[in-house]
Amino acid sequence: MFSFHATLAEPQHFSLLEKLLFAALVIASAGLFFQRFDPILRKILKSKNDPGFHLAPLGRRIWEFFSEVLLQSKVIAQRPLPGVAHAFVFWGFLAFALVTLNHAAVGLGVGFLDPTGQGFSGWFGRFYFYFAAAFALTCAVSIVGLFIRRFFVRPRWLGEKLSYESGFIAFLIFALMVTYLGAFFTTDASPTARALWWLHTLSLLIFLPLIPHTKHLHLVLSPVTVFLSRGEFSDIPPLANDDDFGLVAGQDLTKIVSLQAYSCVECGRCTEHCPANNTGKVLNPKEIILGLRSYLNDIGPATEEPLLGKYNSQEAVFQCTTCGACEFQCPVGIEHLPIIIGLRRGAVNTGAWEDDYGGKLFNQLERGSNALGISALERDKFIQKEAFPVFDGTQEYCLWLGCMGGYDPKGREIISAFARVMNHLGTSYGVLKKEKCTGDPVRRLGNDLVFQQLAEANLEILAQNNVKKIVAICPHCVRTIQEDWKAYGTPPEIEHHSEFMARFAHLLPQKPSDEKIVYHDPCYLGRYRNVYDEPRQLVQITGTLVEAPRNKERSFCCGAGGGLAFLGEESGERVSHVRAQELVATGATTVGTACPFCNTMFRDALAATDTPPQLLDIAQLIARNLPAHNSQ
Amino acid sequence: MSAIFVILEENGGHISRISWEALAAGTALAEQTSLPLHAVVIGSSTEALAAEAAAKQVAAVIRIEHALLNAYTPDGWTSALHQFLTANPATYVIFPHTYQVRDYAPALAARMNQVLIGDVTGIAAGPVFTRQLLQGRLNGSYKHASDGPCFVSVQAGAFRADALAVGSASVTTFAPTIEPSQIRTKPGAPFRASAQTVDLSSAPLIVSVGRGIKEADNLPLVQDLAAALGAELAASRPICDNGWLPMERQVGSSGQTVAPKLYLAVGISGAIQHLVGMKASQCIVAINKDPDAPIFEVADYGIVGDLFEVVPALTEAIKSAK
Amino acid sequence: MKIVVAIKQVPDRDAPVRIDASGKWIEESGLQFAMNEPDAYALEEALRLKEAQGGEVIVLSAGPERVGTTIREALAKGADRAIHITADDLGTRDALGVAKLIAEAIKPESPDLILTGLQSEDLGLGQTGVILAELLNLPHASLILHVEATGTGLKVKRELEAGWFQEIELPTPAVLTIQSGGNKLRYATLMGIKKAKTKEFRAVSAADLGQSSAPTVTLGQIALPSKQRSTQILSGSAKEAAAALVEKLKFEARII
Repeated sequence: MFSFHATLAEPQHFSLLEKLLFAALVIASAGLFFQRFDPILRKILKSKNDPGFHLAPLGRRIWEFFSEVLLQSKVIAQRPLPGVAHAFVFWGFLAFALVTLNHAAVGLGVGFLDPTGQGFSGWFGRFYFYFAAAFALTCAVSIVGLFIRRFFVRPRWLGEKLSYESGFIAFLIFALMVTYLGAFFTTDASPTARALWWLHTLSLLIFLPLIPHTKHLHLVLSPVTVFLSRGEFSDIPPLANDDDFGLVAGQDLTKIVSLQAYSCVECGRCTEHCPANNTGKVLNPKEIILGLRSYLNDIGPATEEPLLGKYNSQEAVFQCTTCGACEFQCPVGIEHLPIIIGLRRGAVNTGAWEDDYGGKLFNQLERGSNALGISALERDKFIQKEAFPVFDGTQEYCLWLGCMGGYDPKGREIISAFARVMNHLGTSYGVLKKEKCTGDPVRRLGNDLVFQQLAEANLEILAQNNVKKIVAICPHCVRTIQEDWKAYGTPPEIEHHSEFMARFAHLLPQKPSDEKIVYHDPCYLGRYRNVYDEPRQLVQITGTLVEAPRNKERSFCCGAGGGLAFLGEESGERVSHVRAQELVATGATTVGTACPFCNTMFRDALAATDTPPQLLDIAQLIARNLPAHNSQ
Repeated sequence: MSAIFVILEENGGHISRISWEALAAGTALAEQTSLPLHAVVIGSSTEALAAEAAAKQVAAVIRIEHALLNAYTPDGWTSALHQFLTANPATYVIFPHTYQVRDYAPALAARMNQVLIGDVTGIAAGPVFTRQLLQGRLNGSYKHASDGPCFVSVQAGAFRADALAVGSASVTTFAPTIEPSQIRTKPGAPFRASAQTVDLSSAPLIVSVGRGIKEADNLPLVQDLAAALGAELAASRPICDNGWLPMERQVGSSGQTVAPKLYLAVGISGAIQHLVGMKASQCIVAINKDPDAPIFEVADYGIVGDLFEVVPALTEAIKSAK
Repeated sequence: MKIVVAIKQVPDRDAPVRIDASGKWIEESGLQFAMNEPDAYALEEALRLKEAQGGEVIVLSAGPERVGTTIREALAKGADRAIHITADDLGTRDALGVAKLIAEAIKPESPDLILTGLQSEDLGLGQTGVILAELLNLPHASLILHVEATGTGLKVKRELEAGWFQEIELPTPAVLTIQSGGNKLRYATLMGIKKAKTKEFRAVSAADLGQSSAPTVTLGQIALPSKQRSTQILSGSAKEAAAALVEKLKFEARII
């Protein structure tokens, strides 16, 4: 057992030479740190201001900082084992902050933690050294664990190349902890204590200048990044002025984008969950961020050099389904979607993106009313055939058909089923005589011109019809109407039909059965809207809920989002097939969806499996149990 | 003496079917107006064509012949007909509405300070000429309101050529004066898109097959049908996914977008991905055993039945109709 | 190469058709209008030629004030300047009358090439380009899918019937009418729209271009077709249904 008859690991009697040497080393280390950190800081500050950025609401920012930074909630929740290890290292660092300050102060003969002292200061000193020791121990164990993972387990998303720099830093952290803990076993004036002090000091002073040009820059930046996030999930910024077309060149990089680019810790969680990257496509969200960082390093902000080309490829950027798994996962607050969509905006708003399918989609939506390029008269015919009431301002709800609900034969079945549910509930609703695509695909593909046209035209239609509440079967419509249209007006209240039905679940037929139904979380309902329980509640009154291995926040995309449903054949494996196989493997006899795009993607994908389960939207799952006389 | 002139075209060495239909339109107009009906053939060597025309019930056949009318050029045809119509005043000049007529008849009419009433689908008393507007969503009634000749072209199929009566008309020749310098365009020989590359987007007729065919071994069934029709073969995505047909034959959102005159969908249920690729077709025929298949929603004609019975029967019916 | 593209604004394909009080045309109030699709292909061909050869693309359109939106769209897609023939009475002119206006507006420009779409989606006359050539005394070719500039003139690909094509050589200046589908259409961009605002946009009134003469052809009445498109299910045995279908394809659809 050691005791505090000596001032733990703090040799009090440094010679002047040692003090001078120490001071010189501190100055050198700090100088080197600032020499390297300063250009980064300048690049971030030289980037343009973020349009539409508000610090308010501050409360949410503080909470996110507390939860994600201090509590490490995301780090742990999404990768529990390495997450906890990381948290221990992080907390170790926090606990060490005071120790380290004291350590340096001691070197200059002005130490303030005095475990041998009397009264409170002595008590506190003793307490704190033991407190820090506990963290040092867990930190040391954790860093060894992380080292083993990186160098021996080698998960794919950490990249193919081993980062020796990371190994060296792990060694320094380990050394810091060991030299601290070792001091407990020495006496104050012993040469060992002196040696440990110097080793500890040197580890620290070597570590400091390594921070700015390694991924450990996140130690400094990511707390700021998390605090200064754009705000909401996939929050696409407004265009600042007439010369802003999105992320075209360095001059378009904003402070937040640059800050995020430098914050990346290269953990690869984004890549691990990216549907495009998992199916053999070029896109790697981590590389998008690192590409921007390299651009900033080599070229810098406020330049006219295109962002797409050497550092990031247009091909990769247009392979994104905007499922948002990357942004959701990112532990350091990087918002991938505004960046990827920003790069698309840059390419589309300037006409640099040339794609047969994309061009066709844009032309269709410039002229026509829907993304499928079908005559609006077909929608009229469907409404007539189903004898849907037309919205005239007297009904409570406007039932928004959307492109899929209005034109896709399968989507129409969902609308019809949901209409039956509303009839059963006695809800008053009507459909609009005319509606246009909400603009979701063009919004995600970065075509601000067509998106604005569609949003404004629709807002006008809704205002003319005095619509107050909308219910829609398509999570893409819901998202776009509620969030994206805000740039051009005030959209009415809107909810997804799963939320609507869940509110009235007690009035719907309760027929739980053994039928195993696997529910697929649509990205735009789950990650974008946080609706996970409502559809599950509905599934449970008609069958037995089965979960896919990747579910809720970690659900795997169907491949349709981000306008990709309209861009023709994908390269590599089809995302929909990968997900369909996963759903089939659950042994469920029914696949429940809550998005007409997921539905259409899975239709073919499930048919290609050996034992295709039936595919039904939650509205269809409910409607099938309705009494027959309601089926008009 | 004023007359009705019907300008006949050649196709494969004979008067084309649509030209006979134009002659039928001329006959109807002749009955209405009691004007003599004359048939006109144009070229560098028109004897055989003139003989064919003279075997119909017409008052006379005119051969407009010149060495420079060897191949069609708008300058040659416009000049020749302009000279002819100047020398032989016409009340009505009737054309078949072909690509060739669309290329020169408006210029010819303009040269005579007239406007062609094109793509006519019916002639009523008056005469009032009916033609489609807004891509078939409206019918418009046109009248000629001038002293000069009235130029009219008639749509394929609008008049029945099989009702033409036989006759034996006299044949005369008109020799226009044409200088080589007048012919400003140099036409090349007609060619087809290369057989190696499948260009569904320019195919006038398409037979498309879907999942209903069940196995690759059944494909010859639809191949025979396509051959009988002279159509290109296409498919929905699952067929191409399975490798039963090459990817370039895929119609739909991830394949090609087509707009043929005829799209015959066999065993295709009509998923939206497929519909968006073919909905612009002029005429859609669906054969499917499921009466609720969405393809019937967009089809002009549908047969609900087993494709393994219907397709061979259709192949036979087409062969015997040709 | 100096290229004039004559474009037309037409009612949107999805627009509901209501016959107006005169019974001679459709109710235009509340209608949406768009660029005639074949004209969009003509514009595309012109822009590609300019990108390959250099030069200038001038877009020209006749019609009332609403035509301005379509002209601006053309400018946004890359045309360099525009001429708007302002006329509220185009409906009273026949194809020759309209072509005369356009010809008069084109003459002072002396372009190397005049492009226009094969036909319009509303009237579907398919004559304006050919009449323009006649009025301007220029060689022409119609139904063109592809244009290539040779040293001395043009080499164009013309569509014939039944899947056949033909190459035609002609000198410039010339008039071509462009068939849809020869190129992929570019999309309008935000940047293009912003640039278009600074481009020259000249209006010239129809009255300044000459007297309108009495039309030689008049549109009397319009009517909705008696039969709307709907699915005819052919019943009977396989053989009977097949025979019925062949009959329909031959005489009703007139395809085979």
